[in-house]
Amino acid sequence: MAAKILPVVKLATKVTIAGGAIYVAYDSGLLGSSEEGSVVLGKAKAAIPPAVDEWMKYFGLELPTPPKIDFSPLQAWNSGVQKSIHALSVAPTRAGEYTSQGLQYVKDLTK
Amino acid sequence: MSEKELGRKWDCCLADCAAKIGAGLGLGIVFSVVFFKRRTWPIAFGTGAGLGMSYSNCQNDLRSHYLLYNNIPKKE
Repeated sequence: MAAKILPVVKLATKVTIAGGAIYVAYDSGLLGSSEEGSVVLGKAKAAIPPAVDEWMKYFGLELPTPPKIDFSPLQAWNSGVQKSIHALSVAPTRAGEYTSQGLQYVKDLTK
Repeated sequence: MSEKELGRKWDCCLADCAAKIGAGLGLGIVFSVVFFKRRTWPIAFGTGAGLGMSYSNCQNDLRSHYLLYNNIPKKE
């Protein structure tokens, strides 16, 4: 009797676990629109440091504090884009100037 | 669309992408362990589904500005 019920119980447990996972994903808004997704990401990011602290206290380990990096990729990218486009926009003028300077130099040499 | 609004939409898109890929990965792992005897394909399927959902959301979000008639008042 128990041998017959066991597969059913196993299947029911598996379905409950999978269904619970899907329900948690749906309830937290992970399967919704872009705004809901970014809200969930913000909440997760805010919840990580306390959770990490609690786990570290539980295990008695001390994580080394990550070094503060003063580098902002956004700033670097934006300034890179601006400099490249500025260089592209002044390139024809500069090319003309350098050509005329070069021609002048050659003329001076041949005088 | 103003630059600010466009930037906000792209930020939303990327955050949503990360959240959905993570969720798809997690659900894929759960399904792989529970139902499919730890094979790899449910994980890949879940991650891909998450990526697809976020791509579709992004697409709709960025196109919504140019839709005509997206505010039709209901006739009472």
